[in-house]
Amino acid sequence: MAFVLKSAACRSLHTSKPVQLAEQQQSVPAPPAYSEPITQQANRGSLQLSLETPQNKAEYVLSTLDKVTNWARQGSMWPMTFGLACCAVEMMHMAAARYDQDRLGVVFRASPRQSDIMIVAGTLTNKMAPALRKVYDQMPEPRWVISMGSCANGGGYYHYSYSVVRGCDRIVPVDIYVPGCPPTAEALLYGMLQLQRKMRRSRKGVLWYRK
Amino acid sequence: MVSLQRTIRSMRRVGVREWWRQLQYICDAKSGTYVGKDQFGNRYFENRNGEEEVPGRHRWVDLAQHDYNATQVPPEWHSWISHIRTEPPSSDAVMQNLTPPWQARYIENLTGTRGAYKPYNTVAPKYNAWEPKVKARA
Repeated sequence: MAFVLKSAACRSLHTSKPVQLAEQQQSVPAPPAYSEPITQQANRGSLQLSLETPQNKAEYVLSTLDKVTNWARQGSMWPMTFGLACCAVEMMHMAAARYDQDRLGVVFRASPRQSDIMIVAGTLTNKMAPALRKVYDQMPEPRWVISMGSCANGGGYYHYSYSVVRGCDRIVPVDIYVPGCPPTAEALLYGMLQLQRKMRRSRKGVLWYRK
Repeated sequence: MVSLQRTIRSMRRVGVREWWRQLQYICDAKSGTYVGKDQFGNRYFENRNGEEEVPGRHRWVDLAQHDYNATQVPPEWHSWISHIRTEPPSSDAVMQNLTPPWQARYIENLTGTRGAYKPYNTVAPKYNAWEPKVKARA
């Protein structure tokens, strides 16, 4: 046991000597060769994969129509800005010149009736919660919600406060959670891209046909 | 900047096939030196000629997967493509020597697949969905 400990202690983890590098390479087994993307491995045998592979001509047509719908939806995501706290500043940065959400077709709308995404940016208080739900109910279908920042995700810093909702998913169904306090504009933009991915996965027509 | 001249020049350099692929995935006609390839088959390019590429767009990646995603770039190449390191990992002696043997395999973001991260929780749920109960009117 002592020998093992000693050898572990002696093993230099950070070395810049090529000789020791060669020794390390001998002791460490080579990682398995890359065969296929890990997302494909994860999705093998899943319901989603079955939906995405058409089994007859009708399903082929329907899944193509679904793809067209998804393409149209993901190309013009209009978020309803629900800026509640400092996260809203980062949300504004996403709209500004550097990250430039307009190139993805993301345009902030001030009216819930003209938007299809709601970005809940900031601490949701008990007082604001009914207003949030009302705004969400005013949005037309299909609608998505992005929860931005720790406070909207689960209360965050104000989790134990008497006046704060512990996560906006208690009020509205959330699609994408963007972590961070506050998340960078880059992180929020990545969240938007993840929402695009989620939109692309939708196969409602095929689902309707199979049912 | 994008111009007709630059598009034609890039197309002549990289070939029609590669140009078409770039148009589908990068939405631009770019040409530059091939720097390397990572373990996932993503190819990395560089063009430091300021006349041909806008500075800031002079390093780019051609992602191998059709369903592409920024997290498909492994961290070593991420540090090259975002100018944290000058040399690409294939020729960066410091990075090669400092890579610890216990470093885990890089996995891209699995959100939306069955491999997505789910936190482990054994506690009873703290809140439940609202089930409205309507009392009979008197």
